[in-house]
Amino acid sequence: MTDTIIAAQNNIYRPAVMKIAATRNEAPGVKTLRLEFQDTADQEKFAAAYRTGMFGLYGIYGEGESTFCVASPETRKDYIECTFRQSGRVTTALAAAEEGDRITFRGPYGNRFPIEEFHGKNLLFIAGGIALPPTRSVIWSCLDQREKFGKITIVYGARTVADLVYKQELDEWAEREDVELVLTVDPGGESPDWKHHVGFVPAILEEAAPAPGNCVAVLCGPPIMIKFTLASLKKLGFEEANVYTTLENRMKCGVGKCGRCNVGSVYVCKEGPVFTAEEVSAMPAADL
Amino acid sequence: MTKILYANDLTACFSLWRKEGMRVLGPVSKAKTSGFGEVQDAHELDLNLVLTARTLKELFFPRTEPMFSYSIGKQKIETGEFLPSENACIIFGARPCDAAGMAIDDELFNWDYRDEYWFRRRDRSVIITIACKESDDFCMCTSLGLAPDSAKGSDVLLRPLASGNGWRVEELTPKGGKALQPIASLLKEGSEAAAPTAEVPLLFDLEACTTWLADPENFESHFWKEISERCIGCGTCTYLCPTCHCFDIQDEGDTYEGIRRKNWDSCSFQLFTMHTSGHNPRATQSARWRQRIMHKFNYFSDKFSVNSCTGCGRCTRECPVDMGVRETLQAISTLQK
Repeated sequence: MTDTIIAAQNNIYRPAVMKIAATRNEAPGVKTLRLEFQDTADQEKFAAAYRTGMFGLYGIYGEGESTFCVASPETRKDYIECTFRQSGRVTTALAAAEEGDRITFRGPYGNRFPIEEFHGKNLLFIAGGIALPPTRSVIWSCLDQREKFGKITIVYGARTVADLVYKQELDEWAEREDVELVLTVDPGGESPDWKHHVGFVPAILEEAAPAPGNCVAVLCGPPIMIKFTLASLKKLGFEEANVYTTLENRMKCGVGKCGRCNVGSVYVCKEGPVFTAEEVSAMPAADL
Repeated sequence: MTKILYANDLTACFSLWRKEGMRVLGPVSKAKTSGFGEVQDAHELDLNLVLTARTLKELFFPRTEPMFSYSIGKQKIETGEFLPSENACIIFGARPCDAAGMAIDDELFNWDYRDEYWFRRRDRSVIITIACKESDDFCMCTSLGLAPDSAKGSDVLLRPLASGNGWRVEELTPKGGKALQPIASLLKEGSEAAAPTAEVPLLFDLEACTTWLADPENFESHFWKEISERCIGCGTCTYLCPTCHCFDIQDEGDTYEGIRRKNWDSCSFQLFTMHTSGHNPRATQSARWRQRIMHKFNYFSDKFSVNSCTGCGRCTRECPVDMGVRETLQAISTLQK
């Protein structure tokens, strides 16, 4: 085969180059990168397409690409923030990258949270551990247009105090009068000066007992937490159609070709990653 | 009267096409296997094969192909794109099942996002298919709603003459018509009869199978474990399938320079869906075999209204443990009765 190098405008696998504008250590092994596009056209394309809930493939040439959500909201589109746990080859390289370094980004891909449909409603955000980033994107999208929503409650839990991410933002939300923040750590994870709850998210949620009427819940976390929290939400009277969550399957292409992220016939990359609990219930549980 | 292409004129045809700047590829046997390769002379072709061991898809979607080159400096990442730029080609002697497979793959590679690596090759190729006058025990096109002389995916269909001297020529697409122009002088008017096409028996009831597969109750049926217990997860069925399209993207090189490649991947492999956390949605071989069957006969048809199987039979023909789509669908047919 005689392949030669030619530039193409529409190569769907071509990533954009982004500069790391800032880095922040969130928790042990968890880091946030703030990224800025190097090319105005790429920036404009992103700004036109990005809506909260969408994801991207973040990469470093020589290591590969890794899929995670865009953790910054659709109300702030001149940069991208991503938060990830260092665990594999790509995230290890991303974690080692410093301010000023260049990495790559493909996206935004996938569907979104239907935030307009949340207007006028009370919002309940529930997140566990490293799953606050996708939730945070929705939280800021709503806080940036606070007047359009009713009561906002955030229930966030992590294994230990150290594992809580976005600590500065948690402080900020705790101080806001228009946000009710409920923080918890797993039993044994508290520090001597911990003033918040100790207990697992489902139990703490049931204690907080948010009213299900006119309320939309956004729930992100590890599968086991989702399972038990859904049961608690059900107990509290929430209907599955009013509970949103995200699925995060392994992906390589992000655009419906590489063939691995499907749950049953649903391609998470194209039809997700945002689903209602009702939609997830309709998927084959054995494929999740 | 119809156009006839005589076998004696084939090498001359190839020369005429090459004069037009086109490459000519066809079924060739070498090194104990067979597939599609570039040929100069008609004698290099192995037209007696029921089917090549390897499929047509490799011509558009190679086992591995470079996508980008990168070189990383202190302040700059320089990248190049490798997009296919081979000359146009004539693929002479494809089989109807393979040609149909390419049309099915088009759906996927054009699903909202167009894959340039696939289409730059597809758009510049003409598929000249030869209808089958022979089949083997593994052929099952008829069970999939196709036939030994299906036109799907082909630009020109050739029907072997009963005499064995050549083919009746049927132009199917404008692209096929254009490809026939340079060889028009070699196409003779004639009325010679075509040989009968192969008789491929029906092996299962496809509708009964898809109905069973569509029932959510059956997703966790013990059937899946039983039918796939001997699967060794080698991936042969997926690599030799004209419609299996799954791939991986991997970087080859070091921190400073290298190549990002698109490589074949397979739903048979454990790592295919493994999460970083260690959780694997399809953790067992039976879950992976179920995925392959469901993908072909339920998920794909759900998206594109066509099953992603053309009945070429390679998955069964080449499976080291004698599994395959045929056995699974035959077993499902039986369950239905």
